[in-house]
Amino acid sequence: MPSPQPPRPGSTGPSSGGPVGRRPLALAGEASLRRRLVARDEQALVELIEVASPWLLGITHAMLSDADEAEEVVLEAFASAWDRVGSLGEEHDALLPWLLRIARNRAIDRLRRRRRWRLKLARADSYGELPPDRVRESEVDEAARPGWHVHESVHAALRALPAEQREVVRLAYFQGLTHSEIARQLGIPMGTVKTRLRLAFDKLRTALAPIRDWVL
Amino acid sequence: MTTHDWYVENRAAYVARSLEPGEERTFRDHLVRCDDCSREVARVERELAWLPMGVPPVAPPPGLARRLAGEILDRPSRWRRRLPLAAAAAVALAAGGAALAARSDRGALRALLSARETQLAALEDTLSVLRRANTVLQTQISMNGHQQGGLLIFQDAVSHRWCVIVHGLPPAPSGSMYQFWFITESGMVRSVEVDADTRRPAFMTLPMPGVAAPVMGAALTMEPVVNRSGEPQGVTLAHVVF
Repeated sequence: MPSPQPPRPGSTGPSSGGPVGRRPLALAGEASLRRRLVARDEQALVELIEVASPWLLGITHAMLSDADEAEEVVLEAFASAWDRVGSLGEEHDALLPWLLRIARNRAIDRLRRRRRWRLKLARADSYGELPPDRVRESEVDEAARPGWHVHESVHAALRALPAEQREVVRLAYFQGLTHSEIARQLGIPMGTVKTRLRLAFDKLRTALAPIRDWVL
Repeated sequence: MTTHDWYVENRAAYVARSLEPGEERTFRDHLVRCDDCSREVARVERELAWLPMGVPPVAPPPGLARRLAGEILDRPSRWRRRLPLAAAAAVALAAGGAALAARSDRGALRALLSARETQLAALEDTLSVLRRANTVLQTQISMNGHQQGGLLIFQDAVSHRWCVIVHGLPPAPSGSMYQFWFITESGMVRSVEVDADTRRPAFMTLPMPGVAAPVMGAALTMEPVVNRSGEPQGVTLAHVVF
C-alpha cells in the first residue's frame, strides 16, 4: 500500500491562519465570488472552476478511475452549481464543500447506475489506499494550490484512524461501496463494517470540525 | 431498539451513502417527515464537508476552465435557438400553470419551480450578453424595396457570443425561411433559422462559428426551406460588415 503524502515542510493546519503563498480565499473573497455568480458574472464562473476543479477532479478520478468520466461529472457539478447558486442562502456552506458533495454524489450515482462494480474494484485496487499518492510533483505546485492546507488536515485526520477503520472509510466514502459490498470485499460481518464506519466517522467529524469555517 | 434508533444510528452512513439502495430510499423518505433527523443529517454533512479533500488534487488539462465554462454557458443558447425567448417563457409558464392546476402537490411545484428557474437562467444569460456588449450594430431589413423591421447585434467580447435581435418581420411565407449567416474571411457560414413574427422580436444568443477565419459581419436572407447548403441561394434582406 502506498505511503501517504507527507506534510510539506512548514505546513500548518487550518488553525494557523494560512501562510502566504497558499492563497486561501478569505471569507469576504468567497462572499464576493458568490455574489458575482448570483449576478451571472461569467468570469466568476471561470474563476470558480479554476480554483475548485483540481479538487473535484481529484475525488472524481479516485472514485471513477476514468479521466473522461471524471471530467463529465465535474462539468455536471459546475453546471448544477451555476444553475442553483442563486437559491443558496447566506448561511449555506462554503462553495467548495457544496461542489464536492454534488460531484461525489453524482460519481456514486454513475457507479451504481452502470453497475460496474467488478471492473471498478479491479481498477480501484491499482489505486491503493487513500489518499492515493498519484499526483506527480511536476503536475501540481502544491504550495500554490488554494486549499492545499485543507487537504493536509484531512489527510492527517484519515491517517490518524486505525488501519481497519481507514479501510472501510476508503471503500465507503471514496469508492462508493455499500455496507454489504464492503463486508463481501473484506470478508467480515456487516455489523463489523457498520461499527467501524460509525467509529471512524465520529472521529473524523471531531477532527475536521476546526476547518468547517474555512473557504476555498 | 426502536425504529427511529435505526435512523439515528445510520445518519453518518446515509451521508456517506454506504446504505443499501433500498435503505437509502427509506432514509430519504424519513427525512421528509422527521425534522430532527433532517437537521442532524445536515449537521453531519457540514462536519464531513471537507472529507473529499483527503484525495490529492488532479491537475486539470490546459484550458479546462474556459472549456467547461463555455459548455455551461452555451446550454441556454442552444435551448433558445430552438424557441424564441418569449415563446419559451410562455410555454414554460403555461406548462407549469397547467400542472399546478391539475395537481397542486409538491411534484407540480417542483416542476413549476424548475421551469421558472430555466426561464430565469435564460433571461439572465441574455441580459449578461446585452449588458457586456462592447459593440452594438444595427441595420434595416428591406423586403421588396421597402424597409421592414431591423436587425440588432450586440457583441460580447468576454464570452465571444452575440445577442441578435430581429424585429418587425412578418412570418416567412410558406416554403421559405429566414436564415441568419456569419460573414467570415473564408465565406458565408450558416447560423440559425430566425422564427420571425411582427408581434414580437426574435432573440437569439449565438456562439461564434466554429471556423478559424475571423468574422467580418452578418447577413439575413430569405431561403427556400429546401436549401440546407452552406451557401445562401435566396434574397438578401440585410447585411452588415464591421
